[in-house]
Parts: sequence; C-alpha cells; structure tokens
Amino acid sequence: MTQVSPLQAKDREPRAVMIEARNVEKWYPNGYHALRGVDLTVHQGEVVVIMGPSGSGKSTFLRTFNGLEEFQSGSIVIDGMALGNDLRQIGAVRREVGMVFQQFNLFPHLTVLDNLTLAPTLVRGRSKAQVQHQALELLERVGIHEQAHKYPGQLSGGQQQRVAIARSLCMEPRLMLFDEPTSALDPEMVQEVLLVMLELARGGMTMVVVTHELRFARQVADRVVLMAEGEVVEIAPPEQFFNTPQHPRSKQFLSQIS
Amino acid sequence: MDPRLKSPSRLARLRRDLFGTPLDGAITIALLAALGAGAQALLNWALSRADWAVIQANSTLLAVGRYPMAQQWRLWLLTGLLCSATGASWGLLRRRSWPRNDRIAAGLLLAMALVVPAALELGLDVRARWWAIAGLLLLARWAAGRWSHRLPLICQKLWPLAWPGLYVLGLGLIGGGLGLQPVRTSQWGGLLLTLIEASFAIVLCFPLGIALALGRRSELPLLRWGSTIYIEFIRGAPLITLLFLGQNILGFLLPGGLAPDRVWRAAWVLTFFAAAYVAEAVRAGLTALPRGQVEAARSLGLNSLQTVLHVVLPQALRVALPATVGQFITLLQDTTLLSLIGLLDLLGTARAIMANPDFLGRNAEVYLVLAVLFWCCCAALGLGCRALEHRLNRHSSTASR
Repeated sequence: MTQVSPLQAKDREPRAVMIEARNVEKWYPNGYHALRGVDLTVHQGEVVVIMGPSGSGKSTFLRTFNGLEEFQSGSIVIDGMALGNDLRQIGAVRREVGMVFQQFNLFPHLTVLDNLTLAPTLVRGRSKAQVQHQALELLERVGIHEQAHKYPGQLSGGQQQRVAIARSLCMEPRLMLFDEPTSALDPEMVQEVLLVMLELARGGMTMVVVTHELRFARQVADRVVLMAEGEVVEIAPPEQFFNTPQHPRSKQFLSQIS
Repeated sequence: MDPRLKSPSRLARLRRDLFGTPLDGAITIALLAALGAGAQALLNWALSRADWAVIQANSTLLAVGRYPMAQQWRLWLLTGLLCSATGASWGLLRRRSWPRNDRIAAGLLLAMALVVPAALELGLDVRARWWAIAGLLLLARWAAGRWSHRLPLICQKLWPLAWPGLYVLGLGLIGGGLGLQPVRTSQWGGLLLTLIEASFAIVLCFPLGIALALGRRSELPLLRWGSTIYIEFIRGAPLITLLFLGQNILGFLLPGGLAPDRVWRAAWVLTFFAAAYVAEAVRAGLTALPRGQVEAARSLGLNSLQTVLHVVLPQALRVALPATVGQFITLLQDTTLLSLIGLLDLLGTARAIMANPDFLGRNAEVYLVLAVLFWCCCAALGLGCRALEHRLNRHSSTASR
C-alpha cells in the first residue's frame, strides 16, 4: 500500500498545486445553497478522498472542478487555469481533467475501442491509428483488451467502469475526478474497479475521489475530506481521520457508516 | 433430447393455435368463412364485373401525367439508375447471403415485372423495359453482394452519399436543363409528381426537423422561442389550410428561385409541415437521452457541436427513427391533398380520368389501383427503414443497460 504521509510529502520539494478552490459558493436555481464557502487545495500526485452524507454537496463540489456545475462566487484554479465563464477556458480545463461517473456514461452506440478513441481524435486531433494503439494498451492495463470490439451493453458493470476509466486516461489527463465510481456496481465487482484506481494512484496520478469505500480511503488516500451541509468539516490524513476524528460531525458520520 | 422440448410438427402447432378450445375453433371458422366470402366477392368483382380498360388506357397518365412522350426515355433512365442503386445498397447490406425474405422479395419483383406489363397490355418494347429494370435491380443486388468484399472499405462507407447525388441528378433529368429540353412542372403528374413532392419533402424535412428539435432545447432564448412557436403554429393548423396559404404567400416569403410555381410551393409547404412533426419525434429522442451522456462527452473535452454530432444525435435519432418513419409515411399519403389545390398528383390524375365521359362509373377500379400503388410505396418506405433500424441497433442486440 502507498504509505506517503503528508509529512513525508512536505519534506520533499514543494509540489505544484493542482486544484486551488477558495470560498466556493453555489446556489441551485431553486435557491438551495449547495456549497457554502468551500476551500480545498490539492497538490500534484495527491489522492484526496471526499466523504460525507448524501446531500452534503460532495458530488456538486467535485463537478465544479471541470465545469459541469457552475458556482456563483469564490474561485477555482485548476493547474493554473481559472474556471470562470470563459467557455474556452472551461474547454482547456476539461482536456486536462478526466472524470469517471457513477453511472459509467459510456457511449452505447460506439464500441469499447471507439469510446476510447473518440475524444483524443476529435479534441486533440491525433491520428486514429496512433490513438487506437494507445487505447489497446490502456485496455490491457485495465484488463479488458479482449472486449475492445464489443459494445458497452455487452459488458458487466465492473468492466464498463474500467472502460470508463481507460476512456478518461486516453486523453492523458493531469487530474482524475471520480464521482462515486463503485456505487452503482454489484458488490463482487467493486474490487476490480478499486484495484485499477489503486494502480493509478501508485502511478502518481492526482486524484480526487468521492466514495463511500472506507478501505480505499484508508489505504490509498493522502487526505480525507469530510463534507456536511455544503461545508468542509474536516481535512485530515486517513489514520487520523478514522482513528481520532476531531470534529463532532466527523464522529457522527463515522459512527453512522461503520 | 427431452421429448417435451421437441417442437411439435407444424400441423400440430397450427391445430393447437387455431383450435385449442371449442370457442377458439368457432372463432377461427367464423373468421375463415368471412375472409373467404370477402375474397370471393372481391375476386368475382375484379374478374367479371370490373372493367380494367380504364387502367389500361390511362396507365401512362397515372404514372407520369402529361410528361411529353418524346422525353420519357429520361424517366426510364432514371428508374433504371434508381433500381440499380437500390440493388447495390441491398447487396451491400446483405453481402453474399440470400435469406428467405430476400428470395421472396426477388421472386415477387420478377413476378411483378412479368404480370403487370402484361395485365396493362403494354407494347412489347415497353414490357422489355420493365424486364430490363427488374433484371438490373436483381443483378445489382447480386453483384454488390458478390463482390462487396473486394471494394475498399472507404467506398462502402461513402456509398450512401451516392443517394443525394442521384437525387439531384434525378431532378435534373426530370426537369431538364444542361442541354436537355426543359419540361415544365405543369407537365409533371401522376405517380411521378406524387413521388417528387413526397421525396423532396422527406429529404428536406428531416434535417430541418432535427434543427428545430435542437433549437427547441437550445439555451439561447430567441432560438428556443422561435423553434417552439414555429412547431406549435404548424402543428396547430390543418395541412390543407397551409397548402392554400403557401400558394399565396410563399412566392414572396422564399427567395425567388426556390418557389417559382405551384408545384414547388406545395413541396415547400409539405416540407415545412412535416418538419414540425419530425422535430417533435426527434425531441422525444433527445429527451430519452440520459443527461450523463452529454456530461461524459463534455468532460472529455468535446465542444457542443462535437457532442451533438457524435454523441447526442446518433443516439437520439435511433430512438426517433420509428416515429419519424411513421411521419414520412403520413407525408406520402398527405400528398393526395395536392389534388385539392389543383395539382395533378396521383389522386388529381385519377379524378381527371374519372371525369372523362369514356370511363364513367369506373371509380372503383381507379381507386383500387390508387390504394395498391400507395400501399406499395409505403411498404417500400417502411421496409427500407426497418432494415436501417435493424442495422443501427446492432449495438443493443444484447444490451443490458
């Protein structure tokens, strides 16, 4: 297991800041105050797990990082690019940020291979042959290269989610966002997806993961963030978060899920 | 093998399906008797009391209206081209296999090519053209299936693009120009005019309908309101009203060259009318698309246009296809309204024929032929679209989600 404690990380040279979210506020059109001044800094190579009860705003917060959700005040800077109303800037951010969804969201009308090659050829303008080569390598890495010419509907949930991860990786992102990647899976398929994510973390990918998987958070996360009612309640290394939570809200959450 | 799993013989199955219980048996017998009586009455009428001279004498009029005799070779040429292209597409779809449906279709085609010209008592030279065209269709089907694997893949992929080209060429052949003697639209008639009007409207209403559906869901308020108002206005008015309205106002609404005369004005009205309904069918397809599809495309960096072209439309149109085809078939039948604004489409020509004192009282024969012709056109449209649907839905054959 990766045992990079934040202390060790700080001993090394200071790493580049990947996500810098300051005082982010979001209201839904119906007036619901989803994010109430949230701060978060994520460094390059860091794995941050966001936990919290449903309705705490954790998915919403994650989705602001690639412009899928707008926010009304505060600032978010991704890899040096400020997210605002500039559509071109949002496009530039999305090219560098991969996202994996709870419902996989593979394109059902395209084969697995075409799911992977669509964006790199269209967005990066790379040659199809070259991208296909890379895509097959990625599929091999996530263990499903035999299925490259099948359609998503012919795969199991776990396989689909691994394809979705490979699809994001094919864009060679600098940051990966995971929005409850195992919540829609049958229990026996959760592990195969978590293993792929673990490998990815070991490879040094910067990851922000919204999940309820305690084991994954314990073993892989550098820091755990607890959100409740649209606010960040506690940020701590996993041992500290799970063993000696500071905030009463954290204690309550942990007692509810364990 | 377990004997219980063995499928019963065909006769046994038929007996079980039709005469399972005494009530089933009674219903079967009653229906068979009614059907038999109906068929006998129809046959009796068709063979003894009906006088088919009205069709034999007017077959050319029904087919092409008053299209000049000397120029009809252009229509034969076009028919030959269309049939070859149909055969080629058919062959590319089925490759070398000849499933049972295809053998039945081929047999029916050959039978029609032999029987119809003979029944119409056409001259030998015209009969030969029928045979040639049917032969061409089947030959193209066979050749395309036989040698498609030798063609480079790019040719097979680009083949559908031959159809729009053929369509423009066809309009040129019919209307003349570029060295051909022009044939005025007032001379177009019968099945020819019906097919021109319907195909023009079908070809154009489809992209227009897609644009309207996307417009109605656009985030730009002006575009959204404009599309919504257009769709609701068109759907709120009867086609016949719009046809009359179009004859009066399209002349100065559209740029001069586009709607120069009654035939083209009617074609545009049909297009604009059908587009509103196609838009609603496409909108249903768009609504059925999970929101996550767009989010996934956007988070991969695709821009709005790429998202619509590569992710949204391919899926939405598959959902919308059956309803859209239904709309196309309705459109084909709606062309009969053109006779009310004085155009000599199939129905208009038929009414003109029935008004001829030589053929008084022969309405039933004419209407029956009309119904069969329309049925054939709609069946062809439906069959083609079902083949397309089948091909597009390959990915969901074993889909679980």
